[in-house]
Amino acid sequence: MKLDWSVVTAHAGDLAQGTALTVLMAVLTMALAVPGGIILALLRLSGSRVLSGLSASFTDLFRNLPLILVIYAAYYILPLALDLQFSPFTTGLIALALNVSAYNSETFRAGIASIRRGQGEAALALGMSRWQAMREVILPQATRRVLPVLASTWVSLFKDTSLVSVISVGELAYTAMRIRSQTFRVLEMLTAMAAIYWALGYPQAKLVDWLNRKYGITE
Amino acid sequence: MRDATPVLTYHDVRKLFGNFVALDGVSMEVSRREVICLIGPSGSGKSTLLRCTNGLELLHGGEIRLDGIPLPRDPRGMRAVRQRMGMVFQSFELFPHRTALANVMSGPVTVLGLSRRDAEARAMALLHKVGLADKAASYPANLSGGQQQRVAIARALAMEPEVMLFDEPTSALDPETIGEVLNVMKQLAEEGMTMIVVTHEMTFARRVAHRVVVFERGQIIEQGPPAQIFDAPLVDRTRSFLNHLGWAA
Repeated sequence: MKLDWSVVTAHAGDLAQGTALTVLMAVLTMALAVPGGIILALLRLSGSRVLSGLSASFTDLFRNLPLILVIYAAYYILPLALDLQFSPFTTGLIALALNVSAYNSETFRAGIASIRRGQGEAALALGMSRWQAMREVILPQATRRVLPVLASTWVSLFKDTSLVSVISVGELAYTAMRIRSQTFRVLEMLTAMAAIYWALGYPQAKLVDWLNRKYGITE
Repeated sequence: MRDATPVLTYHDVRKLFGNFVALDGVSMEVSRREVICLIGPSGSGKSTLLRCTNGLELLHGGEIRLDGIPLPRDPRGMRAVRQRMGMVFQSFELFPHRTALANVMSGPVTVLGLSRRDAEARAMALLHKVGLADKAASYPANLSGGQQQRVAIARALAMEPEVMLFDEPTSALDPETIGEVLNVMKQLAEEGMTMIVVTHEMTFARRVAHRVVVFERGQIIEQGPPAQIFDAPLVDRTRSFLNHLGWAA
Protein backbone atom coordinates (compact mmCIF):
# COMPACT_ATOMS: atom_id res chain seq x y z
CA MET A 1 0.00 0.00 0.00
CA LYS A 2 1.27 3.39 -0.89
CA LEU A 3 0.61 6.36 1.38
CA ASP A 4 0.13 9.78 -0.12
CA TRP A 5 0.62 12.48 2.53
CA SER A 6 0.02 15.29 0.09
CA VAL A 7 -3.66 14.98 0.87
CA VAL A 8 -2.94 16.33 4.33
CA THR A 9 -1.01 19.36 3.14
CA ALA A 10 -3.53 20.01 0.41
CA HIS A 11 -6.26 20.30 3.01
CA ALA A 12 -4.18 22.00 5.67
CA GLY A 13 -6.43 25.06 5.66
CA ASP A 14 -9.57 23.01 6.31
CA LEU A 15 -7.85 21.02 9.03
CA ALA A 16 -6.63 24.21 10.70
CA GLN A 17 -10.15 25.58 10.66
CA GLY A 18 -11.51 22.35 12.12
CA THR A 19 -8.83 22.41 14.80
CA ALA A 20 -9.73 25.98 15.70
CA LEU A 21 -13.36 24.98 16.11
CA THR A 22 -12.38 22.01 18.29
CA VAL A 23 -10.37 24.27 20.57
CA LEU A 24 -13.17 26.82 20.69
CA MET A 25 -15.72 24.13 21.49
CA ALA A 26 -13.63 22.73 24.35
CA VAL A 27 -12.90 26.17 25.79
CA LEU A 28 -16.52 27.31 25.68
CA THR A 29 -17.72 24.01 27.16
CA MET A 30 -15.36 24.33 30.10
CA ALA A 31 -16.24 28.03 30.48
CA LEU A 32 -19.85 26.93 30.99
CA ALA A 33 -19.21 23.69 32.85
CA VAL A 34 -16.93 25.04 35.59
CA PRO A 35 -19.50 27.55 36.89
CA GLY A 36 -22.17 24.97 36.09
CA GLY A 37 -20.41 22.36 38.20
CA ILE A 38 -19.88 24.81 41.06
CA ILE A 39 -23.54 25.83 41.04
CA LEU A 40 -24.67 22.19 40.97
CA ALA A 41 -22.31 21.32 43.83
CA LEU A 42 -23.52 24.28 45.91
CA LEU A 43 -27.14 23.29 45.29
CA ARG A 44 -26.27 19.75 46.28
CA LEU A 45 -24.73 20.98 49.54
CA SER A 46 -27.32 23.71 50.13
CA GLY A 47 -29.15 21.83 52.86
CA SER A 48 -32.43 22.26 50.97
CA ARG A 49 -33.89 18.88 50.13
CA VAL A 50 -35.53 20.08 46.94
CA LEU A 51 -32.47 21.86 45.53
CA SER A 52 -30.15 19.07 46.59
CA GLY A 53 -32.44 16.47 44.99
CA LEU A 54 -32.69 18.42 41.75
CA SER A 55 -28.94 18.75 41.53
CA ALA A 56 -28.40 15.06 42.31
CA SER A 57 -30.94 14.02 39.65
CA PHE A 58 -29.28 16.22 37.06
CA THR A 59 -25.87 14.81 37.85
CA ASP A 60 -27.05 11.21 37.92
CA LEU A 61 -28.87 11.63 34.61
CA PHE A 62 -26.07 13.18 32.62
CA ARG A 63 -23.23 11.18 34.11
CA ASN A 64 -24.91 7.92 33.21
CA LEU A 65 -25.99 8.62 29.66
CA PRO A 66 -23.57 8.02 26.80
CA LEU A 67 -22.40 11.42 25.63
CA ILE A 68 -23.22 10.60 22.01
CA LEU A 69 -26.83 9.98 23.03
CA VAL A 70 -27.00 13.35 24.79
CA ILE A 71 -25.68 14.98 21.63
CA TYR A 72 -28.31 13.29 19.48
CA ALA A 73 -31.00 14.09 22.02
CA ALA A 74 -30.01 17.75 22.06
CA TYR A 75 -30.05 17.78 18.29
CA TYR A 76 -33.50 16.22 17.89
CA ILE A 77 -35.33 17.14 21.09
CA LEU A 78 -34.17 20.70 21.88
CA PRO A 79 -35.77 22.26 18.76
CA LEU A 80 -39.04 20.45 19.44
CA ALA A 81 -39.08 21.17 23.16
CA LEU A 82 -38.08 24.83 22.96
CA ASP A 83 -39.37 25.58 19.50
CA LEU A 84 -35.98 27.14 18.77
CA GLN A 85 -33.53 26.24 16.04
CA PHE A 86 -29.97 26.18 17.30
CA SER A 87 -26.95 25.86 15.07
CA PRO A 88 -25.22 22.46 15.25
CA PHE A 89 -22.33 24.19 17.05
CA THR A 90 -24.61 25.58 19.78
CA THR A 91 -26.44 22.26 20.09
CA GLY A 92 -23.14 20.40 20.52
CA LEU A 93 -21.97 22.98 23.03
CA ILE A 94 -25.13 22.57 25.11
CA ALA A 95 -24.82 18.76 25.11
CA LEU A 96 -21.13 18.85 26.12
CA ALA A 97 -21.75 21.50 28.77
CA LEU A 98 -24.53 19.42 30.34
CA ASN A 99 -22.32 16.35 30.46
CA VAL A 100 -19.20 18.06 31.77
CA SER A 101 -21.18 20.13 34.30
CA ALA A 102 -22.44 16.88 35.79
CA TYR A 103 -18.89 15.58 36.16
CA ASN A 104 -17.58 18.90 37.50
CA SER A 105 -20.40 18.94 40.03
CA GLU A 106 -19.10 15.75 41.63
CA THR A 107 -15.53 17.03 41.42
CA PHE A 108 -16.35 20.27 43.23
CA ARG A 109 -18.55 18.49 45.75
CA ALA A 110 -15.66 16.23 46.70
CA GLY A 111 -13.29 19.23 46.77
CA ILE A 112 -15.56 21.26 49.03
CA ALA A 113 -16.10 18.28 51.33
CA SER A 114 -12.33 17.80 51.62
CA ILE A 115 -11.78 21.22 53.20
CA ARG A 116 -11.74 20.67 56.94
CA ARG A 117 -14.62 22.03 58.96
CA GLY A 118 -12.52 24.43 60.99
CA GLN A 119 -11.85 26.56 57.91
CA GLY A 120 -15.54 27.32 57.47
CA GLU A 121 -15.89 27.88 61.20
CA ALA A 122 -13.00 30.32 61.22
CA ALA A 123 -14.69 32.27 58.44
CA LEU A 124 -18.04 32.25 60.25
CA ALA A 125 -16.34 33.27 63.49
CA LEU A 126 -15.08 36.42 61.72
CA GLY A 127 -18.71 37.27 61.01
CA MET A 128 -18.85 36.08 57.42
CA SER A 129 -22.11 34.72 56.02
CA ARG A 130 -22.21 31.13 54.82
CA TRP A 131 -21.97 32.36 51.25
CA GLN A 132 -19.00 34.62 52.01
CA ALA A 133 -17.26 31.74 53.78
CA MET A 134 -17.85 29.57 50.72
CA ARG A 135 -16.68 32.22 48.26
CA GLU A 136 -13.70 33.59 50.19
CA VAL A 137 -12.38 30.58 52.04
CA ILE A 138 -13.73 27.21 50.93
CA LEU A 139 -14.12 27.44 47.16
CA PRO A 140 -10.66 28.92 46.48
CA GLN A 141 -9.07 26.05 48.40
CA ALA A 142 -11.39 23.43 46.96
CA THR A 143 -10.70 24.62 43.42
CA ARG A 144 -6.96 24.34 43.86
CA ARG A 145 -7.38 20.92 45.37
CA VAL A 146 -9.45 19.59 42.44
CA LEU A 147 -7.23 21.11 39.74
CA PRO A 148 -5.77 17.71 38.78
CA VAL A 149 -9.26 16.26 38.36
CA LEU A 150 -10.46 19.26 36.35
CA ALA A 151 -7.35 18.85 34.24
CA SER A 152 -8.10 15.26 33.34
CA THR A 153 -11.73 16.21 32.67
CA TRP A 154 -10.39 18.88 30.34
CA VAL A 155 -8.17 16.45 28.46
CA SER A 156 -11.11 14.01 28.08
CA LEU A 157 -13.37 16.82 26.95
CA PHE A 158 -10.87 17.96 24.38
CA LYS A 159 -11.05 14.54 22.72
CA ASP A 160 -14.78 14.08 23.33
CA THR A 161 -15.55 17.18 21.31
CA SER A 162 -14.99 14.86 18.33
CA LEU A 163 -18.38 13.30 19.12
CA VAL A 164 -20.25 16.39 18.02
CA SER A 165 -19.15 15.54 14.49
CA VAL A 166 -22.22 13.24 14.42
CA ILE A 167 -24.45 16.31 14.18
CA SER A 168 -22.15 17.79 11.53
CA VAL A 169 -20.35 20.43 13.53
CA GLY A 170 -17.35 21.22 11.35
CA GLU A 171 -14.70 20.63 14.02
CA LEU A 172 -11.52 18.65 13.54
CA ALA A 173 -13.00 15.13 13.47
CA TYR A 174 -15.82 16.07 11.14
CA THR A 175 -13.47 17.89 8.80
CA ALA A 176 -10.98 15.03 8.70
CA MET A 177 -13.75 12.49 8.05
CA ARG A 178 -15.16 14.64 5.28
CA ILE A 179 -11.81 14.90 3.56
CA ARG A 180 -11.35 11.15 4.02
CA SER A 181 -14.62 10.33 2.26
CA GLN A 182 -13.89 12.80 -0.53
CA THR A 183 -10.35 11.58 -1.20
CA PHE A 184 -10.46 7.98 0.06
CA ARG A 185 -7.11 8.60 1.80
CA VAL A 186 -8.29 6.86 4.99
CA LEU A 187 -5.02 6.07 6.75
CA GLU A 188 -3.47 9.43 5.98
CA MET A 189 -6.43 11.40 7.29
CA LEU A 190 -6.88 9.28 10.41
CA THR A 191 -3.18 9.58 11.16
CA ALA A 192 -3.22 13.32 10.62
CA MET A 193 -6.24 13.63 12.89
CA ALA A 194 -4.61 11.52 15.59
CA ALA A 195 -1.41 13.56 15.34
CA ILE A 196 -3.26 16.85 15.70
CA TYR A 197 -5.33 15.70 18.71
CA TRP A 198 -2.26 14.29 20.40
CA ALA A 199 -0.03 17.26 19.61
CA LEU A 200 -2.63 19.59 21.12
CA GLY A 201 -3.64 17.40 24.04
CA TYR A 202 -0.19 16.51 25.33
CA PRO A 203 1.07 20.04 26.00
CA GLN A 204 -2.26 20.85 27.65
CA ALA A 205 -1.83 17.98 30.05
CA LYS A 206 1.72 19.14 30.78
CA LEU A 207 0.59 22.74 31.21
CA VAL A 208 -2.00 21.69 33.74
CA ASP A 209 0.58 19.64 35.63
CA TRP A 210 2.73 22.72 35.80
CA LEU A 211 -0.13 24.96 36.93
CA ASN A 212 -0.90 22.43 39.58
CA ARG A 213 2.65 22.44 40.87
CA LYS A 214 2.75 26.21 40.84
CA TYR A 215 -0.62 27.01 42.42
CA GLY A 216 -1.31 23.94 44.49
CA ILE A 217 -1.64 24.88 48.15
CA THR A 218 0.51 23.37 50.82
CA GLU A 219 -0.69 23.13 54.38
CA MET B 1 -9.97 48.30 86.60
CA ARG B 2 -12.58 45.61 86.06
CA ASP B 3 -16.07 46.71 85.25
CA ALA B 4 -18.87 45.15 87.24
CA THR B 5 -21.50 44.97 84.48
CA PRO B 6 -21.49 41.51 82.94
CA VAL B 7 -20.80 41.46 79.23
CA LEU B 8 -21.70 37.76 78.96
CA THR B 9 -24.19 35.93 81.11
CA TYR B 10 -24.69 32.18 80.91
CA HIS B 11 -27.83 30.84 82.47
CA ASP B 12 -28.42 27.10 82.88
CA VAL B 13 -26.77 26.37 79.51
CA ARG B 14 -27.34 22.83 78.20
CA LYS B 15 -25.88 21.16 75.18
CA LEU B 16 -26.17 17.58 73.97
CA PHE B 17 -24.26 15.65 71.33
CA GLY B 18 -26.57 12.72 70.74
CA ASN B 19 -26.87 11.11 74.16
CA PHE B 20 -23.73 12.77 75.46
CA VAL B 21 -24.40 15.68 77.80
CA ALA B 22 -21.68 18.19 76.93
CA LEU B 23 -23.03 21.06 79.04
CA ASP B 24 -25.26 20.26 81.96
CA GLY B 25 -26.67 23.50 83.31
CA VAL B 26 -23.78 25.95 83.23
CA SER B 27 -24.32 29.39 84.72
CA MET B 28 -21.71 32.11 85.02
CA GLU B 29 -21.04 35.74 84.32
CA VAL B 30 -18.16 37.45 82.57
CA SER B 31 -17.44 41.07 83.35
CA ARG B 32 -15.97 43.57 80.98
CA ARG B 33 -12.15 43.57 81.03
CA GLU B 34 -12.14 40.29 82.89
CA VAL B 35 -9.83 37.43 81.98
CA ILE B 36 -11.35 34.02 82.68
CA CYS B 37 -9.59 30.71 82.24
CA LEU B 38 -11.67 27.60 81.82
CA ILE B 39 -9.85 24.49 82.96
CA GLY B 40 -10.80 20.86 83.46
CA PRO B 41 -10.37 17.44 81.91
CA SER B 42 -10.88 16.82 78.17
CA GLY B 43 -14.51 16.46 77.25
CA SER B 44 -15.69 18.39 80.28
CA GLY B 45 -17.45 21.02 78.18
CA LYS B 46 -15.04 23.97 78.21
CA SER B 47 -14.60 24.19 74.45
CA THR B 48 -18.29 23.52 73.87
CA LEU B 49 -19.15 26.51 76.04
CA LEU B 50 -16.89 28.73 73.93
CA ARG B 51 -18.38 27.41 70.70
CA CYS B 52 -21.88 28.04 72.02
CA THR B 53 -20.86 31.58 72.95
CA ASN B 54 -20.35 32.62 69.34
CA GLY B 55 -23.02 30.37 67.89
CA LEU B 56 -20.85 27.69 66.30
CA GLU B 57 -22.99 25.30 68.37
CA LEU B 58 -26.64 25.81 69.21
CA LEU B 59 -27.94 25.40 72.75
CA HIS B 60 -30.44 22.78 73.80
CA GLY B 61 -31.47 24.69 76.89
CA GLY B 62 -30.80 27.79 78.93
CA GLU B 63 -29.52 31.00 77.41
CA ILE B 64 -26.49 33.13 76.82
CA ARG B 65 -26.83 36.91 76.95
CA LEU B 66 -24.46 39.42 75.42
CA ASP B 67 -24.87 42.83 77.07
CA GLY B 68 -28.15 41.58 78.49
CA ILE B 69 -29.59 40.54 75.14
CA PRO B 70 -30.07 36.82 74.44
CA LEU B 71 -28.00 35.54 71.52
CA PRO B 72 -30.10 35.67 68.37
CA ARG B 73 -30.74 32.47 66.42
CA ASP B 74 -31.23 33.96 62.96
CA PRO B 75 -28.14 34.00 60.73
CA ARG B 76 -28.06 37.78 60.36
CA GLY B 77 -28.30 38.40 64.09
CA MET B 78 -25.70 35.73 64.76
CA ARG B 79 -23.30 37.35 62.30
CA ALA B 80 -23.66 40.68 64.09
CA VAL B 81 -22.85 38.97 67.39
CA ARG B 82 -19.84 37.14 65.98
CA GLN B 83 -18.40 40.42 64.75
CA ARG B 84 -18.21 41.51 68.40
CA MET B 85 -16.32 38.37 69.48
CA GLY B 86 -12.96 37.17 68.23
CA MET B 87 -12.26 33.46 68.22
CA VAL B 88 -8.89 31.73 68.22
CA PHE B 89 -8.83 28.02 67.46
CA GLN B 90 -6.59 25.23 68.67
CA SER B 91 -5.58 24.40 65.09
CA PHE B 92 -5.13 28.09 64.08
CA GLU B 93 -7.34 27.74 60.98
CA LEU B 94 -5.48 30.38 59.03
CA PHE B 95 -6.61 30.48 55.42
CA PRO B 96 -3.77 28.63 53.65
CA HIS B 97 -4.40 30.31 50.28
CA ARG B 98 -3.77 33.77 51.71
CA THR B 99 -0.68 35.51 53.06
CA ALA B 100 -0.48 36.44 56.72
CA LEU B 101 -1.44 40.00 55.81
CA ALA B 102 -4.39 38.89 53.67
CA ASN B 103 -5.56 36.60 56.46
CA VAL B 104 -5.68 39.51 58.87
CA MET B 105 -7.42 41.66 56.24
CA SER B 106 -10.12 39.01 55.61
CA GLY B 107 -12.60 40.18 58.23
CA PRO B 108 -12.28 43.92 57.66
CA VAL B 109 -12.54 43.59 53.86
CA THR B 110 -15.25 40.95 53.55
CA VAL B 111 -17.34 41.57 56.64
CA LEU B 112 -16.82 45.25 57.46
CA GLY B 113 -16.42 46.38 53.86
CA LEU B 114 -13.29 48.41 54.58
CA SER B 115 -11.26 49.59 51.60
CA ARG B 116 -8.17 47.48 50.88
CA ARG B 117 -5.97 50.41 51.91
CA ASP B 118 -7.62 50.89 55.28
CA ALA B 119 -7.78 47.17 55.92
CA GLU B 120 -4.12 46.80 55.06
CA ALA B 121 -3.13 49.60 57.42
CA ARG B 122 -5.14 47.99 60.21
CA ALA B 123 -3.72 44.54 59.46
CA MET B 124 -0.12 45.78 59.35
CA ALA B 125 -0.56 47.50 62.71
CA LEU B 126 -1.86 44.26 64.22
CA LEU B 127 0.91 42.14 62.71
CA HIS B 128 3.30 44.63 64.24
CA LYS B 129 1.59 44.23 67.57
CA VAL B 130 1.98 40.44 67.51
CA GLY B 131 5.60 40.84 66.36
CA LEU B 132 5.14 39.51 62.83
CA ALA B 133 5.28 42.59 60.61
CA ASP B 134 8.20 41.00 58.76
CA LYS B 135 6.07 37.94 57.94
CA ALA B 136 3.23 39.87 56.29
CA ALA B 137 3.92 38.36 52.88
CA SER B 138 4.43 34.80 54.13
CA TYR B 139 1.91 32.07 53.60
CA PRO B 140 0.77 30.07 56.64
CA ALA B 141 2.63 26.97 55.40
CA ASN B 142 5.89 28.88 55.81
CA LEU B 143 5.21 30.00 59.38
CA SER B 144 5.85 28.08 62.59
CA GLY B 145 2.89 27.04 64.71
CA GLY B 146 3.47 29.85 67.15
CA GLN B 147 3.68 32.38 64.34
CA GLN B 148 0.50 31.03 62.76
CA GLN B 149 -1.35 31.33 66.03
CA ARG B 150 -0.15 34.90 66.49
CA VAL B 151 -1.41 35.75 63.00
CA ALA B 152 -4.71 34.08 63.92
CA ILE B 153 -4.94 36.32 67.00
CA ALA B 154 -4.24 39.37 64.83
CA ARG B 155 -6.93 38.20 62.39
CA ALA B 156 -9.48 37.99 65.19
CA LEU B 157 -8.41 41.39 66.59
CA ALA B 158 -8.83 42.99 63.18
CA MET B 159 -12.59 42.91 63.73
CA GLU B 160 -12.03 45.05 66.87
CA PRO B 161 -13.96 42.62 69.04
CA GLU B 162 -15.23 43.34 72.54
CA VAL B 163 -14.54 39.81 73.71
CA MET B 164 -11.85 37.33 72.71
CA LEU B 165 -12.50 33.60 72.92
CA PHE B 166 -9.44 31.33 72.97
CA ASP B 167 -10.05 27.63 72.43
CA GLU B 168 -6.93 25.83 73.67
CA PRO B 169 -4.72 28.23 71.70
CA THR B 170 -1.44 26.55 72.62
CA SER B 171 -2.43 22.88 72.67
CA ALA B 172 -1.23 22.21 69.13
CA LEU B 173 2.08 24.03 69.54
CA ASP B 174 5.62 22.86 70.04
CA PRO B 175 6.73 23.69 73.58
CA GLU B 176 9.26 26.26 72.37
CA THR B 177 6.62 28.35 70.60
CA ILE B 178 3.98 28.30 73.35
CA GLY B 179 5.58 31.21 75.16
CA GLU B 180 5.37 33.67 72.27
CA VAL B 181 1.62 33.05 71.96
CA LEU B 182 1.02 33.32 75.69
CA ASN B 183 2.97 36.59 75.77
CA VAL B 184 0.70 38.10 73.13
CA MET B 185 -2.32 36.96 75.13
CA LYS B 186 -0.88 38.36 78.32
CA GLN B 187 -0.31 41.69 76.63
CA LEU B 188 -3.94 41.70 75.44
CA ALA B 189 -5.11 40.96 78.96
CA GLU B 190 -3.04 43.86 80.29
CA GLU B 191 -4.65 46.16 77.75
CA GLY B 192 -8.01 45.32 79.26
CA MET B 193 -9.43 42.93 76.69
CA THR B 194 -12.25 40.74 77.94
CA MET B 195 -11.00 37.19 77.45
CA ILE B 196 -12.31 33.68 77.95
CA VAL B 197 -9.48 31.20 77.59
CA VAL B 198 -9.85 27.43 77.51
CA THR B 199 -6.41 26.21 78.45
CA HIS B 200 -4.23 23.55 79.98
CA GLU B 201 -1.49 26.12 80.63
CA MET B 202 -1.83 26.38 84.39
CA THR B 203 1.06 28.83 84.74
CA PHE B 204 -0.73 31.20 82.40
CA ALA B 205 -4.04 30.72 84.19
CA ARG B 206 -2.40 31.42 87.50
CA ARG B 207 -0.52 34.53 86.40
CA VAL B 208 -2.97 36.15 84.03
CA ALA B 209 -6.52 35.08 84.88
CA HIS B 210 -8.70 37.11 87.20
CA ARG B 211 -10.88 34.09 87.70
CA VAL B 212 -10.46 30.38 87.02
CA VAL B 213 -13.47 28.20 86.31
CA VAL B 214 -13.14 24.44 86.73
CA PHE B 215 -15.28 22.18 84.56
CA GLU B 216 -16.11 18.55 84.96
CA ARG B 217 -18.70 16.50 83.09
CA GLY B 218 -20.44 19.52 81.64
CA GLN B 219 -20.72 21.36 84.95
CA ILE B 220 -18.80 24.04 86.77
CA ILE B 221 -17.49 22.40 89.91
CA GLU B 222 -15.59 25.36 91.27
CA GLN B 223 -14.63 28.89 90.38
CA GLY B 224 -12.63 31.60 92.01
CA PRO B 225 -9.44 33.65 91.85
CA PRO B 226 -6.31 31.72 90.86
CA ALA B 227 -4.99 31.79 94.41
CA GLN B 228 -8.03 29.85 95.58
CA ILE B 229 -8.09 27.35 92.76
CA PHE B 230 -4.38 26.61 92.75
CA ASP B 231 -3.48 26.96 96.43
CA ALA B 232 -6.61 26.13 98.36
CA PRO B 233 -9.26 24.54 96.19
CA LEU B 234 -12.57 24.03 97.92
CA VAL B 235 -13.49 20.98 95.89
CA ASP B 236 -11.58 17.69 96.03
CA ARG B 237 -12.03 17.06 92.33
CA THR B 238 -10.25 20.34 91.54
CA ARG B 239 -7.36 19.24 93.69
CA SER B 240 -7.11 15.81 92.08
CA PHE B 241 -7.37 17.31 88.58
CA LEU B 242 -4.52 19.69 89.34
CA ASN B 243 -2.52 16.92 90.98
CA HIS B 244 -3.02 14.89 87.86
CA LEU B 245 -1.41 17.72 85.85
CA GLY B 246 1.47 17.83 88.30
CA TRP B 247 0.16 20.82 90.23
CA ALA B 248 0.33 19.85 93.85
CA ALA B 249 -1.90 22.26 95.74
